[in-house]
Amino acid sequence: MDFSDLSDEDLWLQMQDDLYDGLKDEIIEETKEALKRGYSATDVLANGLVAGMDIVGADFRDGILFVPEVLMAANAMKAGMEILRPLLVETGAERIGKMVIGTVKGDIHDIGKNLVAMMMEGAGFEVINLGINNDAEKFLNAIQEHQPDIIGMSALLTTTMPYMKVVIQALKDEELRDDVYVMVGGAPVTENFAQQIGADAYGRDAAVAVEIAKAHMASRRVAKA
Amino acid sequence: MTDATERRRERRARHTGASTPAPIRQITYDLPVYELLNAEGEQRLHDASMRILAEFGIDFYDEEVRDILRQHGAEVRGETVFFDEELITKYISMAPRQFTQLARNPEHNVVIGGNQIVFAPVYGPPFVQSLEGGRREATLKDFQNFVKLAYLSPYIHHSGGTIVEPTDEPVSTRHLDMLYSHIKYSDKAFMGSVTSGPNAADSVAMAEIVFGADRIRETPALLSLINVSSPRRYDDRMLSAIKVYARARQALIITPFILAGAMSPTSIAGTLAQLNAEALAGIALCQMIEPGTPVVYGSFLSTIDLQSGSPTFGTPESQIGLYLSAQMARRYGLPFRGGGMFSSSKIPDAQAAYESVMVMQPTMLARTNFVLHAAGWLENGLIAGYEKFVLDCEILGMLHTWAKGVDLSDEALAFDAVAEVPPGGHYLGTAHTMRHFRDAFYRAELFDYHSDEQWRINGAHDSYTRAAAKVKQLLDNYTPPALDPAIDEALVDFMTRRRAAIALEPHDF
Repeated sequence: MDFSDLSDEDLWLQMQDDLYDGLKDEIIEETKEALKRGYSATDVLANGLVAGMDIVGADFRDGILFVPEVLMAANAMKAGMEILRPLLVETGAERIGKMVIGTVKGDIHDIGKNLVAMMMEGAGFEVINLGINNDAEKFLNAIQEHQPDIIGMSALLTTTMPYMKVVIQALKDEELRDDVYVMVGGAPVTENFAQQIGADAYGRDAAVAVEIAKAHMASRRVAKA
Repeated sequence: MTDATERRRERRARHTGASTPAPIRQITYDLPVYELLNAEGEQRLHDASMRILAEFGIDFYDEEVRDILRQHGAEVRGETVFFDEELITKYISMAPRQFTQLARNPEHNVVIGGNQIVFAPVYGPPFVQSLEGGRREATLKDFQNFVKLAYLSPYIHHSGGTIVEPTDEPVSTRHLDMLYSHIKYSDKAFMGSVTSGPNAADSVAMAEIVFGADRIRETPALLSLINVSSPRRYDDRMLSAIKVYARARQALIITPFILAGAMSPTSIAGTLAQLNAEALAGIALCQMIEPGTPVVYGSFLSTIDLQSGSPTFGTPESQIGLYLSAQMARRYGLPFRGGGMFSSSKIPDAQAAYESVMVMQPTMLARTNFVLHAAGWLENGLIAGYEKFVLDCEILGMLHTWAKGVDLSDEALAFDAVAEVPPGGHYLGTAHTMRHFRDAFYRAELFDYHSDEQWRINGAHDSYTRAAAKVKQLLDNYTPPALDPAIDEALVDFMTRRRAAIALEPHDF
């Protein structure tokens, strides 16, 4: 794979196309090529990856792209981000966001949650996926270890859903509640339930969850500035 | 009963508006069974399932269960268990081909298997929906309302299980409220709790109070729904419930829960091979725990929309899957559960009706022995719809008539009527008609057969509105079946003790 003969402008367009087609190896090489040309990690992210994923997101929303295609695109995005992330940290660039996500205790259903994790990665977020059946302690440990901006909890069963409140209470007890933005989701979960248990947001589907997470990170950047 | 007293009774019923349920008539299905595969095709699916069981295995998240499987000859590696064909065949052949489930009213006992078909209500929705109240969280009151509606319908043979999730009751004691409601407000057969081993044990204890411990060991009083968390995974709570029920010789439905595309391959054949492997592994386990445990081969199979990721129901692929899984269950000599009035719609609209009937017709043609979700299902199972429930019952009524097949008796060939009517005459007054007009044709109560003008005079209501009025009428006039006060007291006493004990156990919430 050689992208050295492309103009800068064509390189960005090529990255966007390759993201759209879910070509992970190409994205890795193109990311390296752009950095080699002296572009900052922030530039590569904005002109190549984010621009590409915006198109993917829009076409998914409009019913043109299918879930497996978005999954491939998100994987390619993640591969590019893995190269850029340490550089972004080095330059002190504001991070896109970091999320710890898991299905709560007693519940082993996680296909929907994994879809959210994948879409979040597609939007450039760093996602720590705790998998299934997570008690409050696992969430607390993950928060201390990874210092996320957001935690996401999911449940499919009405009998495990109330455990989300237990996790939120544990966050309060450990005085971590104000450090993280708490998002909840899952088939039986509602906006009303999210409010009742003191969550910050409810994502009715994966695409909406990503929008909410992006909006939260943006408003936090504004608040900091 | 003479015609005169029958009429007087009906007249009185109309005047008082009493909702006295007609006795159920379980469907005996002697029509041709629709099968899609020839012997070669059936064998090919079977072989694929055997390969999955031998090469990839199934995960069982319970150490004791893995020990049982190992002791009976399965190969256990970590949490994954591998089966060879001989082992599977040996144990599934121990399951009865059909069995009876007790109901509080012996006339409502049901036979599961063979050529019998049983309809049961929707199971599991956390929400309810009605014309008046819209979509909201389900409560215990809703649960009881649906038990009553199921009790009142002659076309619902079974009271079901978690008809809705009573979200206003604590999770730890909900199962007691649900079981008691089935027993108190209905006299039809019901299902046990599967949310944990102790909850299953409570279900057995309550069934023993109602039916007697010895009696239910002989003939099961509980039929409980075990879901496989596909792909290839049995979770700890389902396995702890399996152990309790199998040891108590209560019946189990082993159902892989599959939304193809996400939880199984995107192809029907691959999906069926996996589903079959998952179901057989669980059924073999039941027989290892207690040979002869009554068990039903279940198939909950639909698809996802691969564009959006949402579940989809009533799809042609799911209908084919239903035929195939029923055929495989028959191959192994096992009663079959599948189908239902499935829909993704949020209200009982045209989508709901079309999708539901598109699944229900194959459900019948495949000769499904136990049809869970036969009434009330909406929004991918998230909603139990009040009006949807009674509208579905209307279709179930039609299916009862349809499944009777053709009567070719002299009376049905009606030569006397043909002889009585000259060419160009009419049959409305023949002796034959007079003998049969009341029940000659199925009369839908909720569908409108009037002229346009009459329909307008009557208020121009659609079926949704008529169904809402029907729900109200049924619930307003409901009277509970008799329950022996001594049994009632013993149940209340048991629940009081269990609530006190559960309150002392450690809880997350």
